[in-house]
Amino acid sequence: MDSLTAAFRSGQKPSFPAEAGTLEYAQSLDQQDKLGHLRKEFNIPTRTSLKKKALNGVSPGENDSEDEKSIYFVGNSLGAQPKAVRRALESQLETWASIGVNGHFSTLENSPLSSWQDLAESCAKKSVDLVGAAVPEEIIYMNTLTANLHLMMASFYKPTAERHKVIIEWKPFPSDWYAIQSQIRHHNLSPSTSLIEIQPTPDLYLTTESILATITEHAPSTALVLLPGIQYYTGQLLDIKTITAHAHSLGIPCVGWDLAHAAGNVPLCLHDWNVDFAVWCTYKYINAGPGSTAGLFLHQKHHSRNLDRLEGWYGADKSVRFLMEKEFKPGKGASGWQLSNPSAIDLASVSAALGVFESVGERYMERLRGKAVVLTGYLECLLEGLIRGGVGRKGEEQAFRIITPGNPLERGTQLSLMLREGILESVSKVLAEEGVVCDARKPDVIRVAPVPMYCRFEDVWKFVEIFKGALARA
Amino acid sequence: MTSAPVLPAGAAGSGNARERARQLDRDDELGFLRDEFNIPTKGQIVSTSLPEGSSANNNDSDTTTKCIYLCGNSLGLQPRRTQTRLSQYLSTWATQGVQGHFKPLTNSPLPTWLDVDERAAEMIAPIVGARVSEVAIMQTLTANLHLLMSAFYKPDANKRHKIILESKAFPSDHFAVETQLRHHGLDASKSMVLLKSERSRDNILTTEEICGVIDLHKEDAFLLLLPGIQYYTGQLFDIETITAYAKERGIFVIWDLAHAVGNVELRLHEWGVDAAAWCSYKYLNGGPGCIGGMFVHENNSAVTKLITDERPEEGYNHRLAGWWGNDKKSRFGMENRFHPVKGAAGFQLSNPSVLDITSLCASLEVFEQAGGMGKLREKSLRLTKFLEEQLEGMGEEEKGLFRVITPLDPKQRGAQLSLGLGSGLLEGVMKELERQGVIVDERRPDVIRVAPAPLYNGFEDVVGFVEAFGEALRVARRERDAF
Repeated sequence: MDSLTAAFRSGQKPSFPAEAGTLEYAQSLDQQDKLGHLRKEFNIPTRTSLKKKALNGVSPGENDSEDEKSIYFVGNSLGAQPKAVRRALESQLETWASIGVNGHFSTLENSPLSSWQDLAESCAKKSVDLVGAAVPEEIIYMNTLTANLHLMMASFYKPTAERHKVIIEWKPFPSDWYAIQSQIRHHNLSPSTSLIEIQPTPDLYLTTESILATITEHAPSTALVLLPGIQYYTGQLLDIKTITAHAHSLGIPCVGWDLAHAAGNVPLCLHDWNVDFAVWCTYKYINAGPGSTAGLFLHQKHHSRNLDRLEGWYGADKSVRFLMEKEFKPGKGASGWQLSNPSAIDLASVSAALGVFESVGERYMERLRGKAVVLTGYLECLLEGLIRGGVGRKGEEQAFRIITPGNPLERGTQLSLMLREGILESVSKVLAEEGVVCDARKPDVIRVAPVPMYCRFEDVWKFVEIFKGALARA
Repeated sequence: MTSAPVLPAGAAGSGNARERARQLDRDDELGFLRDEFNIPTKGQIVSTSLPEGSSANNNDSDTTTKCIYLCGNSLGLQPRRTQTRLSQYLSTWATQGVQGHFKPLTNSPLPTWLDVDERAAEMIAPIVGARVSEVAIMQTLTANLHLLMSAFYKPDANKRHKIILESKAFPSDHFAVETQLRHHGLDASKSMVLLKSERSRDNILTTEEICGVIDLHKEDAFLLLLPGIQYYTGQLFDIETITAYAKERGIFVIWDLAHAVGNVELRLHEWGVDAAAWCSYKYLNGGPGCIGGMFVHENNSAVTKLITDERPEEGYNHRLAGWWGNDKKSRFGMENRFHPVKGAAGFQLSNPSVLDITSLCASLEVFEQAGGMGKLREKSLRLTKFLEEQLEGMGEEEKGLFRVITPLDPKQRGAQLSLGLGSGLLEGVMKELERQGVIVDERRPDVIRVAPAPLYNGFEDVVGFVEAFGEALRVARRERDAF
């Protein structure tokens, strides 16, 4: 497996052995998996539990057989629940119940959590490797992704008559689209003249060349480049380093990244890549629960710039926060952008979920990535086998194609499969019946994300078998 | 409970007072609600570690005696059912994964995740006196103030541009206003009007004073931002009169209801309030930092065009947008055009934290059990009056060491009384109160804020507090004078 990891990570597409299509081969990869133990840190929904119509007090537990567990390939939408979350919430509830308001300042000895006022910072410390920050002060957890995006644009998007454009890609996540359009209108500008969309190839692929060319073309009038680290629909991982450097080299003052699908999925070096700001949610690859508190990265180079910001009392430095003075003395770095006090209950969940990353060890994202590239590469290999075998083919038209780039350096965990027109519904139905959970985007795309923290090679093999059956029936 | 006024005051700290308090507690129709809450014990509040296992065998009275928690104006206590609801939330996530968004479970009291915000709106609407479509549970208080100002504060430096707020506003409101002005390139010294009382050293503002300032700036004021209840003094403003007065003069009116929501009766719709924001961790007991709330009057949130119309963005008030503000039907359609749902929900940004909303709604269930704000306020008025009387009945010596800052008129206050202490006493008083298992809130240099919350505090809590406070004042003065 180490050699597979090395090959994928150098951008090659290694060939799997002839027996790759057997269950035994998948199981042999699981046996070599140094991160396999992490799976037991999660509550994976079971085939039975997914069919529940009512709560019955029984949650997936230690005793579920592996056969009973679902194939949960939807960590790109909502991550599975780390067992540590329940422990953390119980601790937080006990703290609140026991010491009430004193929980703001008191850290109880055997609690896994810090005092409420230090909780966001403690999550930041755990995330240094997650996003590749130089110091924890580049990170803060607060609000939701779109709220953080607005706050960053309030600081960085200061359009002038000469420099007013925002460059985005053709299909940003709608919330980004709405946020950017509304920011443009907020400054009495029109999206028709101030919003530039980078177009993909007919295969929905964004070439780095076309991205750089669009940036070059509009550089003198561009105020902000805002792109997704991983495009949610195709799963394409963009070359954050090159694109950021290019935009900066042409004098564009700010390059921001939406890392909803990249954080916790691929290694990031935001500080070294000189990214100005980034925002991410924590309910996908970070597994903190639906709608949980979002993250923000603000590069160190901006920390002493006294940037304009929309202020709130929790952004004030901890030493003066409770003094109720009218002069705003911002906290260090990203924490100075906080508004109100964050939810201690929500952050308990975030803290517990980040704890699972920490438990992987130093440079945890590199370790997770080492497994992820093989897991996704193996999925691709088996899916290509289906295509070669003509499974579900209708005349000349194959049943599906993979729209995620084949280059392992240009994708994360997820593969997006574009199905032949009209079969999405029937395929989804079979997958659900067989205990596969993945994400469908109408009209024709399913997105499949084997997450290295809790998915196995055997899951990949089983998924492909089930998918094959579903295509044959469609 | 009878509607008779509180009995005449007995001497504070006397057995008589405690007896009377117990009788009032026995007669209290809402007294049963106290059992719905986890009330810290005296032992717990001084503990520095999470208890391991059961402490039931420990006979030390501190482990069983409840503390006197009069701090619901800072952080409300935890409803017992919060733990049950959070556990159900965790089970839903664990067993359903992503299906929890849209798949209902028959015997679960929790809505599907896609609907949590709507359920929360239904539950909060009667508490603030709004239509369901006028409220949204989202973000945090200051974020919501920024979002409201981003949507509605459209200054013109040559016409209307000023924002009127109080000179001692909660700092976050002050910061929010100041930075909004800066965002529009305006100068705070010219565009920020700070309300300061001419008469009251505590800045207790009369309605006439406020209206007078509104008149002074009626030509160029754009926005009035006031707290429903002032956090420091505990003063409750006449929201209805002030709102009407400002609006007649063309001024947009936003209220910060952090200290008013769940504390006093509100009729935001009827009063014609333009917009409001609040947090939910004080009197609403949602938990520390729990998700905030927003009210937008239906007059300000109409959507008059269809997305298929020409220039649909002209059919609604501009706002900073996000996908959760879109009409639910089109939210997952992944369209590139924002078209908000009408009402406050159209101001939402991202999907809200289900965990946070679950915690809030657990507490709002208790408000439903109480029979709503009318009943709670009725008890609250009696409880705070009782506190006032007990303070009044203290010995002359102790009474000389503090004064009540909060207005004595019950219509001008909520649950809280703010007590201004003699100089140099605060630290000693707080230390002694804590030693005696009393939790109240301090604001340096000289103020303690005492808030009996009608959901979980009783009249005996008040007597216990006043006894401890008298002792604390004597101890603190001795310590101070020894220096």
